[in-house]
Amino acid sequence: MRPLSGSKRSAIAFALLFCSGAGLLFAQEQSASAISQQVREIFARAAKAVVKIHGIDEHSEICGTGFFVDPTGTIYTAYTVGGEAGNFTIEFGDKRIPARQLVADIRSGTAILKVDETTSALPIGKSEELEVATPVVAIGYPLDLPKTPNFGMIAGLDRKCLGRYFSTIHLRANVPIQRGEAGAPLLNMKGEVVGIVVSSLENNSACYAVPIEAAEKIRSDFVRFGEARHGWIGVHQFSEAPKAAAGSRVEITQVVEDTPAAQSGIKPGDILLQLGQKKITEPVDVFDASFYVTAGDVVPVTVMRGNEKRIFHVRAALHPDSKTSMLLASPGTIPGAIPMSLDEEASPSP
Amino acid sequence: MDEFNDNEIARLLRLKRYEQPPPGYFENFLHEFHRRQRDELLRQPLWRICLERAQSFMSQLDMRSLASYPTAVAAMLVAAAIFSLKVYQQPETARVATQSPLTLSMPVNAEQEWNLASPIGTHSFRTQPVGSFRESAQTHRAAPPRYVLDSVPVSYEATFRF
Repeated sequence: MRPLSGSKRSAIAFALLFCSGAGLLFAQEQSASAISQQVREIFARAAKAVVKIHGIDEHSEICGTGFFVDPTGTIYTAYTVGGEAGNFTIEFGDKRIPARQLVADIRSGTAILKVDETTSALPIGKSEELEVATPVVAIGYPLDLPKTPNFGMIAGLDRKCLGRYFSTIHLRANVPIQRGEAGAPLLNMKGEVVGIVVSSLENNSACYAVPIEAAEKIRSDFVRFGEARHGWIGVHQFSEAPKAAAGSRVEITQVVEDTPAAQSGIKPGDILLQLGQKKITEPVDVFDASFYVTAGDVVPVTVMRGNEKRIFHVRAALHPDSKTSMLLASPGTIPGAIPMSLDEEASPSP
Repeated sequence: MDEFNDNEIARLLRLKRYEQPPPGYFENFLHEFHRRQRDELLRQPLWRICLERAQSFMSQLDMRSLASYPTAVAAMLVAAAIFSLKVYQQPETARVATQSPLTLSMPVNAEQEWNLASPIGTHSFRTQPVGSFRESAQTHRAAPPRYVLDSVPVSYEATFRF
């Protein structure tokens, strides 16, 4: 076989390069078009369950977003939309109907409203299945514009931001959210709601969403007791132990007398391994685990005492912060803000 | 005030430092200021507003430059044209009286149309119920709605206890 001349070789190399480049471009275009198609399908399916919420608070009329979670007209939204306003009306389709507040919970940052209508509803997903870079879609009403899909991905599962600890894990999503979209549903690519948008982050290029399980916990409390019932067992201090025991470094340092924890036998020095269904490995895990404790329920608390693993069954009491909810209803927005409770000092960060 | 001691008041004052106006306050401030300023100006009687405007117009006008022959002729022609238009387009009284109810009886949702058959414009402006007018007048004067989105989540854990 005769060897190819230099010019022919260059021509073939150029042709190969061109073909591979064109193929790559085509593949990228196909992929973008597939994503676009998927987002369009989710929007078409879910948008009819997304509503615009109008309310009036002490300053002016407010507008936000919410969504139906069952066919009887139950609406989830952010606390900032449905928590402290009144005279709610819901706009969906060509209807505008009055709504009432069922429950508002500042600890989770959510509120539940209700309309007396038969409605479509969004299926509930699992935020636990989300990982960093999982694609998500949010549907909301930005400003006075019609409902709008926003596409992005999960950027983090955060327990604190700017020095403040959240009461439960918050989903940080790189989804551009505008004013008016607080309370919007965050959906996975199956069209299931996995979170509720509660705030923006840095020039509205990203947002925070409360996991849907947090809102479901509040709804469950409301169905059972008619209010949100955050549980408390009476452990007031915990810190990072010098060495891990059974994978956990969370050492209980103070147990309040005459509380469920003290009565059940939990003692300072115990290493906390599990609270309810949630495993504990570091101090910040306790926030998320304790959020799902309901007052009145018996909670299994697994600890390591010396070399012995013990399980205590503790009946949780009402969380002390629930009794001062009015004071807690105006948290500072500056990092390091002082808690609004007058009866005690804020504990230092671990 | 008796139930608070000095320390608690000092702590409350510290907390006050973190209070912030509602979202959009600063964006809307200038707009709202101008709107209120206009409202204040328009509170005067109409004749006084007209008089003030006429006075300011006249004071800006250089009368000496206008006192020339071509200007005077042009002004006269314009006045004559306006006068003649008024005279020839004066509608008959009976005709207007019969058309007026027709205009008012148009359906609420009817398309807005200009009636070219009449020598005067009988454009129906009453295309909405009176209630809507009241509503729009109120909403014009009311503060614009706040579109809610916080910069940080409200949920936070203040103390280490469970």
